[in-house]
Amino acid sequence: MGVPLNPFVIMVAAALTSNMVLSNFLGMCSFIAVSKDIKTANGLGMAVTFVLTLTSVLNYLVYYYILVPLELVYLRYIVFIIVIAAFVQFLEMLIDRFSPSLYMNLGIFLPLITVNCAILGGVLFMIIRDYNLMQSLFFGFGSGAGWWLAIVALSTMRMRLREKDIPPQLVGPGLTMIIIGIMALAFLGFSGMVPVQ
Amino acid sequence: MQKKFFQKQPMMRKVIYSLIPILIFAIGNFGWVVLIKTFLSTFMAVFIEWLFERKKGKPVSEAVIVTGLLVGLILPPAVPFWIVIVSSSFGVVFAKMAFGGFAKNLYNPAMVGRAFVYVSFPAAVQQSWTPAVSTWGQGFGRWIASDIVTMATPVNVIRGGGDISMWKMFFGNVSGTSGETAKWLIIAAAVYLIITKTASWKIILSTLVSAFVMSGIIFLFDPTRLNPLAWIFGGSILFGAVFMATDPISAPKKERSKWIYGGLIGALSVVIGTFSLFGAGFMFALLIANTFASLIDYLNTPGKVKKS
Repeated sequence: MGVPLNPFVIMVAAALTSNMVLSNFLGMCSFIAVSKDIKTANGLGMAVTFVLTLTSVLNYLVYYYILVPLELVYLRYIVFIIVIAAFVQFLEMLIDRFSPSLYMNLGIFLPLITVNCAILGGVLFMIIRDYNLMQSLFFGFGSGAGWWLAIVALSTMRMRLREKDIPPQLVGPGLTMIIIGIMALAFLGFSGMVPVQ
Repeated sequence: MQKKFFQKQPMMRKVIYSLIPILIFAIGNFGWVVLIKTFLSTFMAVFIEWLFERKKGKPVSEAVIVTGLLVGLILPPAVPFWIVIVSSSFGVVFAKMAFGGFAKNLYNPAMVGRAFVYVSFPAAVQQSWTPAVSTWGQGFGRWIASDIVTMATPVNVIRGGGDISMWKMFFGNVSGTSGETAKWLIIAAAVYLIITKTASWKIILSTLVSAFVMSGIIFLFDPTRLNPLAWIFGGSILFGAVFMATDPISAPKKERSKWIYGGLIGALSVVIGTFSLFGAGFMFALLIANTFASLIDYLNTPGKVKKS
């Protein structure tokens, strides 16, 4: 489906209408764990956007120029994971070299991007929906940007909360889940705006 | 305990006063059922807050009365009673008490309650529009204005090619949610709230201007869409801008962010109302703006005194 869609439309749809985390609920683990503070949230959002954009393109090339001609399509999950892991490794070295503070802040979460379901989800969506190269690039960027936007908004909201006011049972992930629920409710308003499901 | 059941909040008192004429008008427009439902939603909201605050021994805030009244007034008049109860309770529990009660909430409780029932029970909520009485005032003699349901709101009528006179929409003798129809009363309430410095005029103005500009742009490109005046006077934007967007707790605190916040609400409510699956643009726009309110505030914090 959706082949004649304008890449720009796909990007907007991926960022708002079918936001990775708020309507597909992918990438939840790091979304909840790293959203305590805006600086790390911003860093992780940037990393996810970067990885998602480039792995979409890389996996597109791997899938259509290696896997499909060799009839190895059944290996796609494992190959996608390997490509993502290798790329994240590369990114990790890059961040370590150029921004040690961000590297320290991200800590364990950078390797975790490897198994961030948003990344694999984005790649699989791209295959299922038959996007071409240009569309994949924009889709990857849009998905990442939507995730970034959501985690930055969530982190500023969490910074506004003061722990002593919250009912003790809900401190931490409990209340975060409620906030994410209401955010998802709000983003539901965008549904149906762009014909990409 | 008995005499301090409510926290004294003069600011919220003023909002309650300004809602009362709107409620009376709604009774005349839709019948006594509106009063009962608004009372029910207010009762539920106060009851739930009391349940939570009882252990801490704190009095119930008057803000929750405003929440309850608003829930009653932003639901369609013929909505089933259980929807009113669910809407009011959900809003207060999940958007207010879970965050720690009064002045801690990030979202407008009334709007969260409404969005929850709107999305979860679409059939029950969206088919509960009733036509208003033919001349205003007949509602005082009736239980409900009409048994006919699924009557379209003015926005839907115009969208379907029909026509409704601007004067009728301004006076408010049209269908819609219970409280949103009487534009002249809402404007009067807005003036009262602005003069008494209860509501921020920046948010009201920026919401309306941005909705007007946005719908104007869409109308210029595609004249089959709603014209800007119909947007302002036909839908819920005016009511929402005056009573919901100005909620001092879920709105951003910085003066400059208020302009951005209002602009976001106005533009988004037109965009969502025009292109989305759901007609209730303002509702989603407000929730989205609430989501980004803290971010807007953060970006407008001068210097780098932000805590890391």
